Amino acid sequence: MDQSHPGGVSVTAPTSTLEKMVIEADGLSRSFGQTRAAEKVSFKVKRGEILGFLGPNGAGKSTTLRMITGLLAPDEGTAKICGIDIASDPIAAKMKFGYLPESVPLYDEMEVIEYLRFVGTARGLVGSDLAKRIERISHRLGLKAMLRRRCGTLSKGFRQRVGLAQALIHDPEVVILDEPTNGLDPRQIIEVRDLIRELAQQCAVIFSTHILQEIAAICSRIIIIHSGRLIADGTPEELAGEFGEGWQVVVEGSGVDPQRCGELQLAEGIPGSPGETVHQWLGDSIPDLDHLQKRLEESGSPLIQVGVGRESLEQVYLRLTGGEELQR
Amino acid sequence: MKNILTVARRECGAYFGTPIAWIFIALQTAILSFFFFLYSPFFIIESADMRVWFGLTPFTMMVFAPAVTMRLWSEELRTGSTEVLLSLPLPVKDLVIGKWLASVVVLLASVVCSLGIPATISWMSASPVDWGPIMGGYIGTVLAGMMFLALGCWVSALSQNQVVSLLVGVTAGIVLVLALSPDFAAFLTSTSEPLARTVEALGVQSHFRSIERGVLAISDVVYFLSGSCLFLALTVFQVELKKQ
Repeated sequence: MDQSHPGGVSVTAPTSTLEKMVIEADGLSRSFGQTRAAEKVSFKVKRGEILGFLGPNGAGKSTTLRMITGLLAPDEGTAKICGIDIASDPIAAKMKFGYLPESVPLYDEMEVIEYLRFVGTARGLVGSDLAKRIERISHRLGLKAMLRRRCGTLSKGFRQRVGLAQALIHDPEVVILDEPTNGLDPRQIIEVRDLIRELAQQCAVIFSTHILQEIAAICSRIIIIHSGRLIADGTPEELAGEFGEGWQVVVEGSGVDPQRCGELQLAEGIPGSPGETVHQWLGDSIPDLDHLQKRLEESGSPLIQVGVGRESLEQVYLRLTGGEELQR
Repeated sequence: MKNILTVARRECGAYFGTPIAWIFIALQTAILSFFFFLYSPFFIIESADMRVWFGLTPFTMMVFAPAVTMRLWSEELRTGSTEVLLSLPLPVKDLVIGKWLASVVVLLASVVCSLGIPATISWMSASPVDWGPIMGGYIGTVLAGMMFLALGCWVSALSQNQVVSLLVGVTAGIVLVLALSPDFAAFLTSTSEPLARTVEALGVQSHFRSIERGVLAISDVVYFLSGSCLFLALTVFQVELKKQ
């Protein structure tokens, strides 16, 4: 029986990593005119973590990331990268991270290799070290054939890779990616996710998205931001456990007879529409799975699995960002 | 210094890798040459000097300098590439100076390309050419150009729109060259003597007058250098302001 929550596969941080805090955001607030884009956002990230910044469009994710990177001065609060305050020593702090903005702005007239050389040199890399790193990162990101192409002629997917290459060229301790899979095709999205997982072996990755499946697929920790406020912070399991309301059952089977299933649902008083997968909302108590499984098998359905879990991450997210205030 | 050169090298690549610099150099040289041979008494008295050339320089500069600098910040602000640029571990002043330095390189290239004029004069003129004033004139041109380009950098950092940057830059140049002119100062003398003196001291023309003759006065050098520093400082301030 699958006892994990049905919202998705979770990934835990590698246990071998040091418990060193690489990002410390403390009470970051920022207003634009009358609009509060971020309000007292505080969190910490340690090495090896993949932190997903989740929230609807316009929730304040980019604003928070821009304050951490020093691109935007907070009205209040501080941000430290590897213990260095971004406001008091921006140059030293900027050496520690690589940043990919949402729009992936490149210099269109430059060749990819020239662009990477420029960013590498600006980050203090020189000579053969720079050449080696360009070679390595372009190999890793599949850019080798594109090095002599002008950035302006690249497809969206390759632009994204060049953007990632500039953020990673100096082996940063922190990688900050703003909507890194935006506009990519499914294969490219999988590649970026694999890359993020790989990066987390050596550094901390913090990335924002409004796509829930993305977070569920790769994050070891999630922060949900809504209307500029941090409303939830924890692992996917913690969030589902802490904020989930009740239990649900997932039944998967092939060739389920819809009629028999419907009869069973009626007999058990299960709401929802019958089909190959039955989702049952059971309220606060854990259901008697053995009983349920027996009844389903009696109905002639060859079952693959019957699982029970807390409310899915998706449901938690929708409820938390649905406009209602969080009552903890 | 290394940071400044890194930025300047990139910007030079953008200038010379695209037609911008070449168009600027060709137009500047062509227009100056046309008016020089049109107005210069060279063909009448075979005067082997370049006073007319240097006399025209502030007027071409006030149009061409903002045309060169308009993209420096406006384009980055429009495309959002400042986000990456400002996330690099480079001080803002290095970014500003590096970009400005690249525009100065374009200016220097145009100066080098115009060296054909004194060469032509020297070749055609019966009387020997006095190279001192010509050298002085060129140094003055570069100094004045540096100030106009710094002004253009600042204006470029004010707007995301290159056309707006160009128009505001040209207008600011017109104020410096034409509005704050010796003629206007003379007109003001009857109203207020100190005001007239201030207008003349702030204007470009009064400081370029001796350069036109090939004489480099310390006060003029200080004027153009401090003007450059002022506008570069304003650019740094403006870019820092983007964080607010």
